Formats: sequence, C-alpha cells, structure tokens
Amino acid sequence: MANITKKVSWTSRGDDAGGGEGTPLLNGSEEVRYTRQLSGVGGMFHIGRLSTVDLEEDVTSDEEARPTKSQRYGSVSTYPGSLQDSPKGRPEEIPHNEKLLSLKFESLDYDSSENQLFLEEERRMSYLGFRCLEISRWVICGLIGFLTGLIACCIDIAVEKLAGVKYFVVKQNIEKFTEVGGLSISLILWAVLNSSLVMVGAITVAFIEPIAAGSGIPQIKCYLNGVKIPRVVRLKTLVVKVFGVICSVAGGLAVGKEGPMIHSGAVVAAGVSQGRSTSLKKDFKIFEYFRRDTEKRDFVSAGAAAGVSAAFGAPVGGVLFSLEEGASFWNQMLTWRIFFASMISTFTLNFFLSIYNNKPGDLSSPGLINFGRFESDSVAYNFYEIPLFIVMGAIGGLLGALFNKLNYWLTIFRIRYVHRPCLQVMEAMLVAAVTATVSFSMIYFSNDCQPLGPDQSEDYQLQLFCADGEYNSMATTFFNTPERSVRSLFHNPPGSYNPGTLGMFTVTYFFLACWTYGLAVSAGVFIPSLLIGAAWGRLFGILLPTVTASGSIWADPGKYALIGAAAQLGGIVRMTLSLTVIMVEATGNVTYGLPIMLVLMTAKIVGDYFVEGLYDIHIKLQSVPFLHWEAPATSHWLTAREVMGAPVICFNRLEKVGTIVDILSNTSTNHNGFPVVVPVAASDEPGKICGLILRSQLIVLLKHKVFVELARSRLTQRKLQLKDFRDAYPRFPPIQSIHVSQDERDCMMDLSEFMNPTPYTVPQETSLPRVFKLFRALGLRHLVVVDHDNRVVGLVTRKDLARYHLGKHGLEELQLAQT
Amino acid sequence: MTMGRREYKNRKLCTVMKSERFEGDYSSFLSNMSIFRVATLLIALPYYGYAHTSAVNITTLGLSEDNLNQLASPVAQQSPVFQANIQSYFSLNLLSVFPENLEFSEYCSELLAIFGQRYSAYTDCLVSAARPVKLCQNCYGTYNELGKIYKNISSYQGPGNVSCRDSLLRSDRLMLVFLLYNNMKDIWRVSECDSCLNQGLGLTNDTLYFMDTLNQSYRCFEKYQQQGNRSELCKECKATYKGLNELYSRMEKNLTLCIDIEDSMNMTRGLWSKEFNCSFPRAETVPVIAVSSFMLFLPIIFYLSSFLHSEQKKRKLIHPKRAKSNASFMNIQDKLS
Repeated sequence: MANITKKVSWTSRGDDAGGGEGTPLLNGSEEVRYTRQLSGVGGMFHIGRLSTVDLEEDVTSDEEARPTKSQRYGSVSTYPGSLQDSPKGRPEEIPHNEKLLSLKFESLDYDSSENQLFLEEERRMSYLGFRCLEISRWVICGLIGFLTGLIACCIDIAVEKLAGVKYFVVKQNIEKFTEVGGLSISLILWAVLNSSLVMVGAITVAFIEPIAAGSGIPQIKCYLNGVKIPRVVRLKTLVVKVFGVICSVAGGLAVGKEGPMIHSGAVVAAGVSQGRSTSLKKDFKIFEYFRRDTEKRDFVSAGAAAGVSAAFGAPVGGVLFSLEEGASFWNQMLTWRIFFASMISTFTLNFFLSIYNNKPGDLSSPGLINFGRFESDSVAYNFYEIPLFIVMGAIGGLLGALFNKLNYWLTIFRIRYVHRPCLQVMEAMLVAAVTATVSFSMIYFSNDCQPLGPDQSEDYQLQLFCADGEYNSMATTFFNTPERSVRSLFHNPPGSYNPGTLGMFTVTYFFLACWTYGLAVSAGVFIPSLLIGAAWGRLFGILLPTVTASGSIWADPGKYALIGAAAQLGGIVRMTLSLTVIMVEATGNVTYGLPIMLVLMTAKIVGDYFVEGLYDIHIKLQSVPFLHWEAPATSHWLTAREVMGAPVICFNRLEKVGTIVDILSNTSTNHNGFPVVVPVAASDEPGKICGLILRSQLIVLLKHKVFVELARSRLTQRKLQLKDFRDAYPRFPPIQSIHVSQDERDCMMDLSEFMNPTPYTVPQETSLPRVFKLFRALGLRHLVVVDHDNRVVGLVTRKDLARYHLGKHGLEELQLAQT
Repeated sequence: MTMGRREYKNRKLCTVMKSERFEGDYSSFLSNMSIFRVATLLIALPYYGYAHTSAVNITTLGLSEDNLNQLASPVAQQSPVFQANIQSYFSLNLLSVFPENLEFSEYCSELLAIFGQRYSAYTDCLVSAARPVKLCQNCYGTYNELGKIYKNISSYQGPGNVSCRDSLLRSDRLMLVFLLYNNMKDIWRVSECDSCLNQGLGLTNDTLYFMDTLNQSYRCFEKYQQQGNRSELCKECKATYKGLNELYSRMEKNLTLCIDIEDSMNMTRGLWSKEFNCSFPRAETVPVIAVSSFMLFLPIIFYLSSFLHSEQKKRKLIHPKRAKSNASFMNIQDKLS
C-alpha cells in the first residue's frame, strides 16, 4: 500500500512549508547581483515552492538542478524548452502521471568524502579501534534482529487480541440475531467496528506520518537504491507504522502485516545504528562512527532482511530479499552480518511467541505468517504435474498483471483527486465498511455448509443457517484474519470447500485487495495476494479431477493452493529468487523448491509482458529517480554532454562567505554538490576542478563559522573535526536558520580541508551506459564532467540518469516536476 | 504415550525386541527396564550355567547393553518357541511337545485363555454398540476386565515368582497379544471414553445428566411427531433442545465429552435440523440486501464527488538547465513531441 498517499505524503511537507517565502536571509546587495539571472528565470520558478523551509530534515529538495552564477556564464535563456516558452511566463502544470521525476527526492551520499579530516581521523584510530568497530557492527546487527523480532511479536499479539475481540463481538451478535431476526444490524455492527478501527489507523497515518502508508517496501527499495526518501526511517514513522498495521489488520481490511515488517525492520536498523534518536532528542553517544549514509545503508539492508525474516520465518529469504531489492553494494562480511541479524530476528520472534503461547522454549512458530507444515506424503508432487504448475504460473502472471493495471489506474486517480488527508481517511473507512458488507453478504447467501471437524483451527466459525453441527464454509475465509484464511486454504482436508465458494471468494477478494492497496493505511500486499492465489489454486486442484478421466490421482488440493499462492504473489510483486526462498522456507519444505521456482518464473515472464511489478509501478508513480540495474538498452549514443546539467555553480578554494550563503539560499537552485575549482585566468572560462563539496558540509562550516579571518584572530579556536559533521547528520539545518552577519559576509572560507579532493570525473564523450555504471556501482551522488583540460563543464546527478527510460516508442525522457 | 515417544531413541538400543508397535506399553516397559534385563538373563542363564543370583549381580553391576544382546541372541535361536514355529505343521499342540517348557508354564497358558475369553467378550460388546454408538456406556465393564488380565500378563511377578510377561508378550516378532490389546486400547483412547467414566467404574454424573436431558428431548420429539405437527414440534421442543445444546457446549469446554455423547448429540442435531427442519430460515434477505446496496453505493458517491469537487492535483514542470543541445539531442526532443 505504499502508495497513494505516498505521492501526497512524501511531498506534502514541501507544500505546506513552501508558501511562505523567499526567506530573505540574503540581503540587499546580493539580490541585486542576481537580478540578471532571476530576470530570466525567476518568475517562473515559483521561488516559494522550492524553499521548503522545514526545520525537520529535508530541506533541500533537489540536489541537482545546477544553474550557475550568472556572472560566470551567460544567460540561461537559450536552453531548449526552457520556461520562457510557456504561456504567461508561468510554469507548465500537468496532471500527475507516471512520467515525472520529483524534485523532492535527493540522493544519499554513499561515496565517502576522503577529505583531510577523514584522513586525520583514520590516522588517529588505532588497530584496536578498528577491531571495536567491527565488533560493534555485529552488536548492532544483533540488536536490529532482536528489536525487529520484538516488534513483530507485539504486532502479532496485538492483532490477534484485537481481531479476537472484534470477531467475538460480531459472532455473538450474529448468533443472537440469527435466532430473533435482524441480521442487518449485525451487518452494520461489523461494518462500524471495521470502519472505526481503520479510521483510527488511517487518521494516524494520514495526519501524522503519511510516509507510513502502504507496505513500505517501495520506499525501502528506493532507500537502498540510494534515494533519500524524506522521513522514511524516522522513529515516528515506525510508531505510526506499527500502530497503523495493527488497526488495519484488525479492522478486517484485505491486507497483511508482513510488508510493513520490512519497513519496520529498516527503521529499527537506521535508528539503532545511529545510537541516538533525533526525534526523542536522545543521544547515547555510541556508534558515532556509523553516522553517515554509507554505514547506515548497510544496516538498513540488515534491518530489511530482519523484517522479512520475522514476517515469514525465512532468514535466508530475508538475506536474499536485501540482495535482490536493495544493496547494490555487497560483500561477503556484510552478507554474513545480515544473515546474523535475520536469524536473531526470527529466533526472537519465535522465542517470545512461544512464551506468549505458554510453550516456552518451543521454537516452532518462526514467522508472523506460518504456512503450517506440508507433510511430505500427502502433498508429494509428480513429474507429470510440472506442466500443470507452469500453467498455474501463467494464470498467476495474468491475474497479477490485471491486479497491477487496475491498481495503477486507481492510484493515479487517488493521487489526482483523493489527496487531502480527510478524504483519504474517509476512503479508508469506506473500504473497510464495504469489505465488511461484502464479506457479510457472501456469508449470508452462501449455502455451503460443512460438518464441524475435530481439529478445526479457526476459532470463529459461524453457523448461520446451516444445520446444527455444521458451519458456513464461506465464513472460514471471510470471517477470519487473512493469515488464518490462508492457512485453512492450505491445510483443510479435501472437501472442506466447494468450488462455488472458492470461485466467489477469489473474485471478491481480488477486487477488494486491489482496491485496498494504496489506501492511507499501513498494510502489505503479501497476504492478500497469497490468499487470492490460494483460493484459485485450491479451486484449480478441486476442478482438476473433474476434467481428467481418472481423477483420484490428483491428490491434495492444498498443494495446488500453495502453488496458486506462489503464482499470484509472483504475478503481483515479480520478485524472483528471494520470493522462491521465502516460500520454501515458510512452508518448510525444500522439495517444493523446483515447482515454486518454475511457477514464479512463469508468472514473472507472463506478467512482465503486460505491466511491471506492483512495487515498480508505485515507485514510478511517486516520481522517484530510481536507478535500475542497467542503463536503458538503446542509450549508447547519448554522451555525458547531453546528459549532464550545465552550467555548474562552482566555488573557489578560497570563497567569500557572502557568495556561499547566497548560493545556498537561492531557492531556485537548490543544489547539494558544488565542484571546487581553481579559477583560470580568463574570467568566463570554467575553472579546473580540484574538489567537490557538499551543501551539508558547507552548512556545518557556516554554522561553526570556520572563516579564515576568525581563525587568525582566535588561534585557540577548536579545530573542526569529522565528529561535528556527524553530529549534524542526518538532519542538517537549513541555510535559513544560519545567521551570518553583514561583516561575516566579507570573510573568506578555505574549503580545501573539507572538500573531497578526489571526486570522480568523466570526459564529456563518455556514453550514458558508462556513466550509469559508474553511478550505480559506486553509489555516486555527483559526477563531474570535465573537458580535456580538466575544466568543469557539467555535473551529472541521479535525476539526469533516471530520466531516460525505454518506452514503447524507444528512448523516452521523463520530465522534472515540482511535487 | 508421550513418554514413549520421547524415549524413542532408547528404544532403538534395545535390539532384542524388534517390535514396531511397542509404544503403548513402552513407558511401563522402560520403567521396568532393568528388570527386563534380568528377565532376559533368566532365559539365558540355564544355558550358560550361571547361578541365579550371581547373574543378577552381574547385570546390575557390569553388563552393557551390547553384552546383553550377545548373550540373548544365541538363546533366541535355540529357543523352543522358534523351533516350535518351524514344526507347527507337524504338531498342533506345542505344549504337549514340550511339556517341560520353562518359558511357557501352565499358569501362562491359563492367563492366555482368560485373555482370549475376555477379548472376545469385549469385541462382541464393541460390535453391538457400534451404531448408534453406546460404546462407553455398554463396554466399560468388559474393557476393565480385559485390562485387568492384561495387567496380570504384563506384570513381571506372578504368583510363585512366575512371570508370563516375556513369554506371552515379547518372544516373537508378531507379538500378537500385545498387538491385540493395543488395538483395543487405541479404540478406547480415540473414543475418549475415559472422560465419561469415573475411573472406569461407571458413568460420571455429567454424563448421566446429559443422557437425562437427551431423553427429555427425545420424549418431546416423539410426542409431537406422533401428532404429525412439525412446526409445533419446533416451537414446543425448542426449550429442551436448546438446554441440551447448551449443556453440550458446556461439556465441550470442560473436555468431558466422549463418543457416546458426541454421537447422540450429532444424531439429535441432525434430527432437529434436517428431519424436522427446525433451523433458522433465511428470513430477512430484503433488509440485508438493502443495507448492503446502501453500503456499496457509498464509495460510488465518494469517488464521484471527489472527482467532481476535489481540485485535481497538478504538477509544475521544471526545466533543468542543460548544455546547449546538439543535433542528436534535438532528435529525441522531436521524437517526443
């Protein structure tokens, strides 16, 4: 579900804050100097919108547009397609669509800056210090696993309790009214209970932390890809997420609690590894070394793995999930640590659940979803069944593509029209009420009665109009939490469901799940997909004997339910390796590895023919500059010259404070990286590159007033250390909060000690795929393009690369938009 | 049972006994483990000429399991029972062939005969109580008798220090007596009769009370069925039937159900719902449909109104600054426009 709101949510901060101002810290004279530039462009760039003066974190919305100081280069008006062309000098406005890149998103700094401070610190650090670092990495991973498992456990217990109370009340009510009449009142009661639970969850999500909507997997995918999604790994997000999940699952929506576990694990990791919470203003003064994007990213991938592992009881699947979805930056030790975190997480969950179930020490419920054990006799498969499995995979792919397409249209509609929080809450409540209504009518009109068995695992059986001693079999699927429904579809003995029931259930649940994904509630799509798949898979298994002559050899429909579930899930999310392993681990049956792999393969091939995976669709709809594994196939003819942004704003080694402040506060050019150059003689020629400095570094420097003049006058002043940069991480204050007096504006700043002296550069003729590879493999944020004299001619950033993609008509270019 | 499982591994060690179906008796067997060793030796001893008492000392003090097996295996091959099996075509009465058989005393054959009688009495009872199920009520007596004789057989100390435990229960691969008894025990366990019985001495008060209530319902059914008025029946017998149902679910919670009660309840429910058709009718379809369609209508209104009244979210396009485009760049632009 990550999504609808996402668009809205990820961006809303900027919108609120934006209205106000050009925040004029830059005073008079500077404005004048800039008039030339602004006269061309200023009117159109709605200054206020860009400024996002948000003291929380993500001030700068765009690291990457990079116009220049106008005094260095000529006017900007000659660029093709520039805004002057649009009527009345106002920016073009278009309805939201998938072919946009949002300015909101920045890159993470995965490339560590090897400046002098860094070298110094490294020199100071003893051998023992490095050993300690290594040990603390392990400790952190253990903690991540432990806390993630604990959170999973809390969610599980809370959902079980809440849903238990809800179903108990509704069941009592239904039983009462079956007798005396007035079942429509039970229907209303059920709908109201559902809606109110969902309302609580939706309000927390929509009003407090919109980023917590959905499963969070797309967001984590983006994070691990190197995109900084604002507020995605905050403590507040975690709290809202956990609370939201409990409400939405207990509220009976067609959702699961597994996806959000992955997000929760990631947040835990990002929090624990920093040894402090900025939200709580609590700094434990530990793990300070890890306060930078590179280190944090590694821990976040461990957290995501721990989340998967807690959700499905699949530690290896978790590691592979991180590998598949996330880290482009991978090594053996990291993998091993991530595996450690995964194991600890599933073990913790297991341990606490065993205590909760009064069987301390019985470590047999490793995940939130427990598929139950498939005993090998009854569900062994045969060689001749493999073609059938492949057919099921194809069906899964088709249904998955349909699901994604429908959800895509729905999401676009939601982004365009249902973007106000109160509307989102209302929508979620409506969905909850309709879900209850549909479920109730299904149960009410179902004639499928089954005798009560001795070992029915479902606690909430409804008799309704069935004969005494029988229960309504539609109610086992609808009147239950989705996890239990999945389990009963897998394991109930043959004959527990009749085909009509399953057919109706599949159809309704398909549309309900499709409708639900994308609401402003925290909830995942794993379980609903599994449930849809399990239902039609079981139907397939039941119908099979009627098609073939000698029916009885097609044994257990539970087996087909499992294959169907895998096919449907694969068709929707299109994960491959990790999903196979997750399914195998969750069923605890390695012999199913082959059929599950084949099924997922087929589902992916068939589904990809029509439409992308659900997570990719939502990433696109959020306009995230996401870098895929490869550059688009037909892009070799594009060179860095066409791709790069130019001209570039550069600083000199010794730069005037006033200039720096002005450039940083210029809201229309919200850049985050500035090449440092040695000016050449001719003043309008670009300078030779000698380093790269980041906005965040400049801000710390300004805050500590590291000016050349001050250093001379106050010899005692403490030398700035790397620690000062780390303390400000990750929420660097906005430039507007830093006050620079008029006198100080005339001071000079020496950047040479702080800049990265060896930034990556490429010549202008480098092809796009080559640039792309560098970017993707090294996790770069800025790549300087130089001419043969090493003079800066342009700067390539993530958005420059992400905007090319292969569409139906060849290479297409996405547009940058303010969202 | 659970104990037997847990000690499954131990069981493997015990190669003398090739039984696959020993679980039922296993816990008691294990508790008697050392005694069993003694017993095995008792068979072995005469052939090896050791004195009675010293052998016991040797067992408890020093013999390992393996030694024991080595001791026991030649015995098994030479044992008269094995030879008897081979010769069974020629001789119908084994005992007359080996009258002085040490293992198979007079006492044991007596026990075996009694076991046979009680066994057949019990199975007779089971069969006659099969449908409708009255197993627990009718057969607990014979089952207890069977249990007693089996206990005698399996006790290691009979009158005059004679034990039939090994000769009757464990001296061959089939272990028929054990198997038979175990099957019967399984039936008893599955039927959960113990929850209706006072330690096998008679039906519990709960059960009796349930039977009583059940009879009330039956009387009521009968009364109105004779009048041929079913709707009257549903109305008049509802109170007793409901009471019966409640009693049943209370007993279900207390785990005091046995197969007799479950079966009679099932029958009664079947009668009530299917025979007399007294379950609830689906009477209020119209209000349910009305409420449902109202609910289903709400989202349509919601989406329509948000489509019509909500301001569409627009995105402002930003045009990044690029280097002067060259020919190829123009191409892509052209293509797009």
